[in-house]
Order: sequence, then C-alpha cells, then structure tokens
Amino acid sequence: MSGAFEVRGLNVQFSDARVGAPAMAHAMTSENARRVSDADGRTGVYTDALRGLRDITFSVTASDCQAVLGVSGSGKSSLLRTLAGLQRAAAGAIRVNGRDVTTLPPEQRSIVYLHQEPVLFPHRTVVDNVAFPLQVRGIAAREAAHRALEWLSRLQVGELASRMPQQLSGGQRHRVALARALCAEPAVLLLDEPLASLDPAVRRDVGDALQAARRASGAAMVLVTHELDDALAIATHIMTLGHGRQTALDTPEALLAAPPSLAVARLLGIYAELAGEVIETAAGMMFRWAGGRLPVVGGIVTSARGPAVACVRAHEVQIQRCDASGGLIDAPLEPRLTVVDRRDGASEAWITLRDAAGANIGLRTGGGTDVRLGDSVQVTLRHARIFSPD
Amino acid sequence: MSAVPARIGRGLALAALTLFATAPLLLLIVTSLARGWFHPQVVPTALDVSAWGELFTDASRRGALVNSLVLGVATSCIATLLALPLGRAAALGTRGVRRVVALLAFAAVALPPVALGIGLQLTVLTMGLGGSLRGVLLAHLVPALGYLTLVFLGVFTQWDPRLEETAATLGATGRERWTLVLLPLLRRPIADALALGFLVSWAQVALTLLVGGGAVRTLPLDVLAMLQSGQDQRAAAGALALTVPALVVLGAARVAARNTTAVIA
Repeated sequence: MSGAFEVRGLNVQFSDARVGAPAMAHAMTSENARRVSDADGRTGVYTDALRGLRDITFSVTASDCQAVLGVSGSGKSSLLRTLAGLQRAAAGAIRVNGRDVTTLPPEQRSIVYLHQEPVLFPHRTVVDNVAFPLQVRGIAAREAAHRALEWLSRLQVGELASRMPQQLSGGQRHRVALARALCAEPAVLLLDEPLASLDPAVRRDVGDALQAARRASGAAMVLVTHELDDALAIATHIMTLGHGRQTALDTPEALLAAPPSLAVARLLGIYAELAGEVIETAAGMMFRWAGGRLPVVGGIVTSARGPAVACVRAHEVQIQRCDASGGLIDAPLEPRLTVVDRRDGASEAWITLRDAAGANIGLRTGGGTDVRLGDSVQVTLRHARIFSPD
Repeated sequence: MSAVPARIGRGLALAALTLFATAPLLLLIVTSLARGWFHPQVVPTALDVSAWGELFTDASRRGALVNSLVLGVATSCIATLLALPLGRAAALGTRGVRRVVALLAFAAVALPPVALGIGLQLTVLTMGLGGSLRGVLLAHLVPALGYLTLVFLGVFTQWDPRLEETAATLGATGRERWTLVLLPLLRRPIADALALGFLVSWAQVALTLLVGGGAVRTLPLDVLAMLQSGQDQRAAAGALALTVPALVVLGAARVAARNTTAVIA
C-alpha cells in the first residue's frame, strides 16, 4: 500500500470499558463471556468483542478523509486514541508515510488528535495556542507567530489572535483548534466527533472549516462520528464498526447504494425495513411483502429462499392512492394498504400502513407524497436491498 | 423585619466580629510596646520599641528567626516538589492507590502533633539526626507533605488530561508538557502550596521541641520560653513577628494567583 496513513490488523482495547446493561445482555449469550472488574471496582460480564476492536485495516491517502461510523460505545474513540498513541495497540501496525509508528510516543507520530470539544490551552492567547506546535519544534517565536497568524487567517479567525480562549464562542474555538492542528503540519489529522453537540449554524461553520482544512493541509484525515450526515459532509470514504469488527469500508455513494449487511444498513439509518420473504417464481427470485413483490436483482445480499428484510430509501418508495371507485390507478395486481399514521419531517414523511392481516408497516417517503389517514394505497418499490434477517 | 433594624443588627454583628478578631492582636501590639505594664494598671506607664529591636539585634533571637525562616522555606520547597508528583500520580492512579495515598496524607495531618512528634523523634534519633536542623526539617516535612499531597490530589482530581494529550499529539515531549502546559496552569496551586508548606513549618512547636530536643531554636519556641519566664513584652513582639511572614506569604500567594490566567484554582 502506498497510502499516507496505513493501518493493518489493528487490535484496540477499549479505554473506557464499563459494565452496562446492553453489554451484559449480549455477553450472557456468548461463549466468550468473562467476568471482569472496571476501574471503579464494579464487575460485569464482557465478551472479547465488546471489550475491544479486532483486525482493523484501512489506508487513507493524503488529502482524503475517512469517516469511521459506529454507534456509541462501538470503540470509535478508542480507535482514534490508539492511532494517536494515547493508548497502546494490542496488535497490528500503524504506518505514517511508510514509517512504522505503532510503538512511538504521540509526539513522534506526526498524528494530531482533535478532541470532540476543542481543547485550547487556557493560559495562552489564541495566536500562542496556534504557534504551540512550532514552539516545541524550536522555531523562532517571531516566525512561529507569523505562521500561526497565517493559519488563523486561512480559517477566517485572524482577528481573534490576541484573545484568550475563554473569550471565544464554540465555533471560534473549533476553528482555532483546527488552525493549531494544521499549523503542526501533521501527516494525519484525527477528528473525534467534531460536529457533535453543535447547533446547526455552528455545525455548518465547522463543517466548512474542516473541508477547507482538508484541501489546504494535504493531511490524511480520519473522522469518527455516529452521524451519517457528518460523514457525508466531509469524508471521501466511510468505514463502519459493529460488534468489535470493521463491518464495511467503501465510498459513501457505494456504501449507501449497497450496504454489505443488514447491520450496516441499520447503522447508516436511512432505510425503512420491510419484512417479507424471498420466493422463487417463473420470473425468477422475488421478494414478497405485504405490499407486493419486487424482483431480487443485482446487488442482492441473499438469494436463499425464506424470510428476508428489504431496506428501502425514501426516494425509492412510491405511494399511490386508489381512485374514488376503489379501483387501482395502476399495477392492479398489487395489494392495497391503508394509511393509519403520517408524520411529516422537513424533507421526508414517515407513513404507517396497515395490511389486510392488520399488521403495521412503516415507510419513509418524500415529503410531497399525497396521501392522508384512511386512504387506500398501493406501494411501488423502485429498488431495495434484500437481506437475510438477523 | 423592616430594613433599618435589620441593617443595624448586621452592623452590630459585624462590629462584634471585628472586635473579636482584632482585639487580641491590638492587645499584643500594645503589650509589645509597653514597658512594665502590670495588673491592675489599665494602660501602660511607658512605651518603647526595645523588644522589637532585640528581635534583630539579639544574636539568640536572630538565630531563632533565621532557623524558622530556613526551616519554613526548605519545608515549603521540598514538600511542594514531592507532593506535586505524588498527588498527580495518586489522582491519575487506580482507586486503590488514590485511597492509600489519601489515607497516609490525611494521617500525617490528623495525628496529634505530640503522638506524631514522639514517633518522629524515635525515627530521627535512629537516623542520627536528633537535635539537628536537618532532623527538625525532616519532621516538619511530614505534616507539610500530608497537607500538600491532599492539596495536589484535589487539584489533579479536577485536572483535564486532554490538555497534556493535546500537547503530546502537537509534538510536545514529556518535559515540554510539564514546562509549557502543566506548570503554567498550576501556578496558583503551586503558589498556594508553597505558602501553606511555609506556614505549616513556621507554626510548628511540638515537632520542633520533640525532635530538636531544645538544641534547635525557632521563633515559636523562643516566644513560648519568654512567656513562661514572664517576659511579656518580648513574647508579644515575638508573637507579632510570627504573624508577619504568615501575612506576607498569604499576600504573595494571592498576588501570584491574581496575576495568573490559569484556570486551575
């Protein structure tokens, strides 16, 4: 591999492993469950998978950004801390521009780690904060201040140079921390949920700054998040984590078009799930659900007959009302469903349908769908990803 | 209750409190200047500053003052140097380590000085330092280290480790993290610790007496001796002199704290 940043077979111990109800419930069913005590003396049962990440492998080229997507507690932050050298790797290799840094201390890795909340040194002015990495490199104070001011200007916070960190707003603090990270000229920049807990305006502001930073610095970036939107806003590739493993790695477009498993599809959080079954017909394999049938075509995950789950995005769903006489507008063979609930979001609508057997089915569709409570409708799926159920 | 009586009540309470706090000090000042002031005289018959002058001109008194200053400065510096890393290690360590360190530090502070002094006396005698300034310094370090370890344990329990992590990934070595991040942010607690360490040593009587065995004279011991021998004027001047460095040290610590931008208090 020739990437700027390469990670091979990395095993990561969770730094903040705590006993929790979900972990306990999972562990009880596992052969590998073991009883452990945490730092505060509380005991519980963990599986190996829940206590760390295994066999993480990826590479990020210069100026690219890889998002690591996972639910809370999946080990995203522990992964970043291990990459930064703030905790020891249990196994595997980390290379920066071909140099093995796995066992090097953080200051020798050329990897800068940005915490979720920007950590500025409270006893230094903004410009002194940004000049810090140059100061520790022995660069003369005047030259360091000059370069720091350049980075502050590039990130549009040059006018804050003489302020103290306590005088900055949330968005300004993010930009200053980013300027300081870039001033260090790192080969790799690690971002821990940089857009989490920000209000929408600041979120856009910091997102823009990150994009600018990616283009300007040439650093390989790794961003962890549990929000798909954050990953899509910045990343060129997305890796997903689940049950202590790397579950997917692809471009955002490819991953959204064909998630490799139902778990990954659920993690992405943009699909409605329809329960049904895969059947064999004269026309080939079909997915049959309460609202009709769908050919199982390219990109499918399962071809086995039996129970299955279809994952569909809002724009792939078409809901049509039956006409006044009760007849169907088109596709007369498709069964009818009744609208029993509708909730409208900013750009999508969540519609609950009831089938002939009385079962409820939830669907997301475009906000402009013209159906009301009590309408008799038929549903057309333009595309779906079919998975074996868990 | 209407506003006026409430204001009068608060004023009276404040006046009583002020009198309670300052009356002994005022009495000490007058006594230190009063020549031959005996019961039942209401006011002294003559005033002079001879007792104050002796503090600096009398070789014995000056020696005691110097000993007290040397012990105070040495105790505060050494105890701060030891307590800072000890408190940090305990705060960042496991709960067990934290508990053991806190217990030992608290024991050094909470044990009755006489009990602690007798134990230390035996230890210091065994080390061959009985009756020496070094032995007394060792004894003063025990309660001072206890106090200061508790101070730094509290400071580092509130410490944000992300500051050092950030500095490390920005390229700072361990030494640079101490000099450029940790120490500047700890200016205020360090100033407080130096002041506290000095004052713990400065006020020691029991430990100095037991470990020094009368051979090491300090200002508090001199004041006690003068009081026991009826030299009230000299004892009062000595007692007032005891309060001066304490006030100076506390004032300096406050000024240092005001002049720092550190967020760690």
